[in-house]
Amino acid sequence: MHALNRRGDIKRDIKEALGNKNLRGALTRFGEAYLESRARAYAGKDFNALREEICAIKRNAADKMEDLAQRFTRAAEARGTKVFRAATAQEAREYIANLARQKNVRQIVKSKSMASEEIHLNEHLHQLGLETVETDLGEWILQLSGQKPSHMVMPAIHMTRGEVAQVFSKEVREQLPPDIPKLVKVARQNLRRKFLEAQMGITGANIAVAETGTIVIVTNEGNGRLTTTLPPLHVAVVGLEKLVEKFSDIKPILEALPRSATAQKITSYVSMITGPTPVAYPDGTTGDKELHIVLLDNGRTQMQADPVFKEALQCIRCASCLNVCPVFQIVGGHVYGYVYTGGIGTVLTAFLNGWQNASEIQNLCLGCERCKLYCPGKIDLPRLIRELRRRTGEKAGAPSISSQVMAKVLPNRRLFHSLLRAAGIAQKPFQRGGMVRHLPLFLAGLTEGRSLPAIVSKPLRDRVAQTPKTSQIVGDNQRQGVRVGFFAGCLVDFVYPRIGEAVKELLTSAGIEMVFPMEQTCCGVPALYTGLAHTAAEAARQNITAFEHAGVDRIVTACPTCAQAIKRYPEILAGEPEWHQRATTMANQVEHVTGYLHGVFQRLAGARLKKARGTTVTYHDSCHMKGCLGLTLEPRELLGLAGYNLVELECSDRCCGFGGSYSIKFPQLSRQILDNKLDTVAGAEVGTLALDCPGCLLQISGGLTSRGSAVTVKHTVELLDL
Amino acid sequence: MFLNLHDHDELDRLYALFKEQAEAISALVYRVTDPSAAGKKLREIINQLAVNKLVAVPSPLVNSCLNNAGAQTAAVHTTNLRNYAPEADLGLSEVDLAVAETGTLVQDSTAPEQRLVSTLPPVHVALVQTGRLVHYLSDAIDLFNTNKDTSSLPGYISFISGPSRTADIERVLTIGVHGPEKLYVIFVDRAGGACVE
Repeated sequence: MHALNRRGDIKRDIKEALGNKNLRGALTRFGEAYLESRARAYAGKDFNALREEICAIKRNAADKMEDLAQRFTRAAEARGTKVFRAATAQEAREYIANLARQKNVRQIVKSKSMASEEIHLNEHLHQLGLETVETDLGEWILQLSGQKPSHMVMPAIHMTRGEVAQVFSKEVREQLPPDIPKLVKVARQNLRRKFLEAQMGITGANIAVAETGTIVIVTNEGNGRLTTTLPPLHVAVVGLEKLVEKFSDIKPILEALPRSATAQKITSYVSMITGPTPVAYPDGTTGDKELHIVLLDNGRTQMQADPVFKEALQCIRCASCLNVCPVFQIVGGHVYGYVYTGGIGTVLTAFLNGWQNASEIQNLCLGCERCKLYCPGKIDLPRLIRELRRRTGEKAGAPSISSQVMAKVLPNRRLFHSLLRAAGIAQKPFQRGGMVRHLPLFLAGLTEGRSLPAIVSKPLRDRVAQTPKTSQIVGDNQRQGVRVGFFAGCLVDFVYPRIGEAVKELLTSAGIEMVFPMEQTCCGVPALYTGLAHTAAEAARQNITAFEHAGVDRIVTACPTCAQAIKRYPEILAGEPEWHQRATTMANQVEHVTGYLHGVFQRLAGARLKKARGTTVTYHDSCHMKGCLGLTLEPRELLGLAGYNLVELECSDRCCGFGGSYSIKFPQLSRQILDNKLDTVAGAEVGTLALDCPGCLLQISGGLTSRGSAVTVKHTVELLDL
Repeated sequence: MFLNLHDHDELDRLYALFKEQAEAISALVYRVTDPSAAGKKLREIINQLAVNKLVAVPSPLVNSCLNNAGAQTAAVHTTNLRNYAPEADLGLSEVDLAVAETGTLVQDSTAPEQRLVSTLPPVHVALVQTGRLVHYLSDAIDLFNTNKDTSSLPGYISFISGPSRTADIERVLTIGVHGPEKLYVIFVDRAGGACVE
């Protein structure tokens, strides 16, 4: 099992995946088509209502997992099913192997089952000399070619028809053309024989109903039906998380699963099996079939006992979190290196296959939070991955040098800021036209292969200190005494102070006093995403104190990631009741400046904004702006109020690949995601790209500069002229 | 849950929805008045596809359809289907329900013969009484949801939506993998015959 020894190979895997054009092409095309066809499949259905229902059902099932397992066992046994509770993968493998031995089984047909892959059942049975044939077309292709699945629902998505033709030609000893219908026919003919001969059929299950002892199997090809019908012995390997309490619980899951997984309203076949049914033999006689259900734990009760990760049991294995993931779209499942891939796979791997296996791959997450919007089980996957990082950070003995530095420097604002200032001076000799090639500390990797703006010699904090106090300015709001605190965040403070200055001008013109608390520091996100929980908590405390002293009514920031980080302060400080209260106050006060200004200027009906007179711009939806803060209309309307013509960008909400320190850890990946974005920007044929995140600004403008593009990138607030 | 046979407008609407949805997933859908017309339709299919060997699971509707088909050209097997189904050109059976919103057929297939004739041959012809149309998938599940008495739940319930399919090679949709490549659905308005209202 090479997968167990794969730590440290992730960079090599990424390089391989990036070199695989088939895979990238297939995944990108799929990622684009998926969203549209998924939306069509859900037409007339209320996705949010449906996922509320599923979430409640699965949460209830997770709460009562042991009780449901016992009720399932009783109900299934009452119908003649034999139920085996397997605590570990080994117990499950041995039970099935013993059964095969007892029943004199020589040939086995299998219908696709993630649980059986999780326990490495095929390898085990093969070692015992049993022929085990995967009958799902994709799985069969992989079995014949000795490869691993790259996607939970479409296992062979990384292979071309030409490669499949080669694999099949070898198997049937006949030169086959790369013709898909022909290849499918070859699979039908060859596997048909296997179905008719096999003495045992092995499947998984998508749902297991405790009340009735029923298993539900969802398939398209018909192999599930044949596997459960022809052999006299049927074994289903079912993870405990598949349990639901009632038969009626099947309904919402069956509505969502095919729609989210393959954008089908329903799959070709759904089989609900309750107890063994008769088996028909070729000689015309019938007999009693045996149905064995292996209820697999293998880490699931441990997951259930965990207050945070219990949520992962709400997964229905639709893989939509993979389908919408910007990283998965580029590298596919092999990089994740285990049976369960993508975001949810990262979490499942930690529990089902061990934390060491998850520690590398959890770094792949960009933190864009897109998956959260699409999960039919309503799992807050980004939160689970952050928690995974925090715990692997605790478990791992030696953190990387950059995170050691971060842990030391970040909590000490003066040190951090003076290092940034020193870097601003030190980089001078390397600067060319306001761009720089090197950044200090944990920001160093940002400059790999791209041009970046320089750290300014005078950060925002110094600039706002020198401008006249806003009390000198008279305006409607000022009379009412509205004081708004500005949270800059590192990028606006030290790289893009012009954004902060634009905010100040806009607020001032609307008669609102902007306050800049000097004690504010980094929002804590780099530490949070690196798993440095204590460092993040310290940053949170400093910022809470700073803004409390400022005595403001609201806090605005030009960075959606900072806004989202502050909204998470209660989560970060959950263990400290007094701080949690203060964190909640700050979290409720903070909002993105574009959302805030949208409200302000709409009240003023756009007065005081100079009209741009039909200048055309396009708009990039930053992940955290849209996915976390839910701001999509606001920036567009604000630009409209200012007189801009908005041309929509193709896939405007596709990630730019920045992801903070991500672009340091995985520069090649980040680069590839950026390239896709730059292509769509070029396709929009406009002179200006508007956005609302300084991170995206840095990434996209850097990319455009190195391409020699004339498109300028601006934060929305910079486009609002007075 | 079932519609009154006299509620023609509602049945027409559900049938139209079923046809639209099932055809979108490559099924072929017809509606006839009685078993004699169903037999005629079956004969057309047999002739068109040059079917030599047919397997069928007997039911009153299947039997009268077969009788009316009068297809002397094809050998018809209704017993020992495990032996004949793998080589048959066409499988014929009656299903219990039809779900309009998804174009799905629902059948108590506890008897393995029901699964054999609808999965092994390359063509499956399903007969269904028009009055057994329900609107939503959840309606069909509710019909099996007996709550009190779980022992009455059939051992194997099949939901069939279109012919078998795959997109496992390059995501190209291909019809007909391990199951049939053609699925015909024939709705019969008066399954009891022309004279029964």
